[in-house]
Amino acid sequence: MKDFAVFWGCTIQARFPFLEKSTRMVLDAFKLPHRDVDGFTCCPEKSLVNNVDHAAFVLTAARNVALVDGMGLDIVSPCTGCVSNLATVKGELKANPVERTAVNGLLKAAGKEFKGNAKLTHLVPFFHDSVGVFAIKQRIKKDFSGMRLAVHYGCHMMRPSHALRNDDPLDPKKFDNLLAALGAVSLQHPTKLQCCGQGLDRVDQHDNALHMARVKLKELKSLGADGLVLCCPSCFLQFDNNQFLMEKEGEKFGIPIIYFTELLGLALGYTAEELGMNSHRVDVEPFLEKWKRSPLVAGSGTIDEALNAVVAF
Amino acid sequence: MLGAALNIKLLEMCSKCGACYSICPSCVNLPGYDPREVIQDIVAGDWEKWLLSKSIWQCLECHYCLEMCYQHYGFENAMTAMRAVATKRGIFPVQVKRGWEMFAKTGKLGEPAMPARKKMNLPAPAASGGEELKKIYALLKEKRRGQG
Ligand code: SF4
Ligand code: SF4
Repeated sequence: MKDFAVFWGCTIQARFPFLEKSTRMVLDAFKLPHRDVDGFTCCPEKSLVNNVDHAAFVLTAARNVALVDGMGLDIVSPCTGCVSNLATVKGELKANPVERTAVNGLLKAAGKEFKGNAKLTHLVPFFHDSVGVFAIKQRIKKDFSGMRLAVHYGCHMMRPSHALRNDDPLDPKKFDNLLAALGAVSLQHPTKLQCCGQGLDRVDQHDNALHMARVKLKELKSLGADGLVLCCPSCFLQFDNNQFLMEKEGEKFGIPIIYFTELLGLALGYTAEELGMNSHRVDVEPFLEKWKRSPLVAGSGTIDEALNAVVAF
Repeated sequence: MLGAALNIKLLEMCSKCGACYSICPSCVNLPGYDPREVIQDIVAGDWEKWLLSKSIWQCLECHYCLEMCYQHYGFENAMTAMRAVATKRGIFPVQVKRGWEMFAKTGKLGEPAMPARKKMNLPAPAASGGEELKKIYALLKEKRRGQG
């Protein structure tokens, strides 16, 4: 496997360091060749930067990609927005030599060149494709059999598909496959692919953002979901923070929000505390309690594979 | 200004189609949000009135319409173009303005939360490339000025 830089993005490091923690833990557990790289900036965030200055949006993303191009690394990110924005610009510059030449003219002043060789992957398709469901299954200490979990892909995990090309943009499967590998039932629900709506909070429309969160949380409550699994800091903000704000106002949904890395980390045998899950705003205890009560089912590799598996801890 | 950013021929087709209305998350959930109306006005050349409307900021850039669209065009392109014109005229939601200013100043939208990192035993964060980005962004602005 090629070495890769982790692109943390602004939101995780500024607001959710515990998500960085659990991401590092699962990357280390599988001994994946990851590293931190000096010199990244914001990806940049599309709705804020692109709306004001498209050329700045392109230049910023091109510089981030050029940085890893120069080091011969790929990028993996636990943020869907980062990957989608970087990939959108990479696609645009690969398709437009005139624009690429202009951008490289500017990057030259910083000793950089955009080549677009670096592969850009979100953590979920990365675990699915590069680690693989089988390797994951072998390592499970206790899976999530009997748990009813809903998965929320987040729009930018697989869209725009012409830039990302990693799953079906209208009927994605990879996150569901990973949940199945972890033994959980992936609940099919009408808003599964609906945008979380967090973007509305960034354009002074907080009530509309809450409304979009409410639609989904109500649906999950009525389906009896034990938790909502996602892997995007923006979706996390929307369903954890905004759910908490609604709870404070007396609207109770009680849907624990679980980051993919936390779910995987728990299955590998880390504790919720080690993974930083006590930093969530919506209580994760009901989810953990139910899981504790459920029967122990470990990974399901063959005996040979289980004996030969590399045990990291 | 708007015409340059948009393919009006495709939008004409779009104004007769409307298929993606039923899958657009904002159309479904936010009363009054209807890109079909905006697009009809763009095609008719009567779009200025939308610049001050909340609607153009309600497109979530989720790309669902883009993926569904038989023209691979999408409501989204029209809404993005409208927002670009609005910001050029200084019409922003407060948070977009604040976000942009923070980005222009630091190259980021937030700095790593140091006390929490320490508590969680996270390594020191990698150095930011903000200063270097600012320099090449200044070059871009210079180049633009040169082109008038
Ligand atoms: S990108 Fe905008 S217009 Fe298109 S489906 Fe999403 S919210 Fe609707
Ligand atoms: S964006 Fe495409 S699918 Fe949607 S209404 Fe316009 S032409 Fe039809």
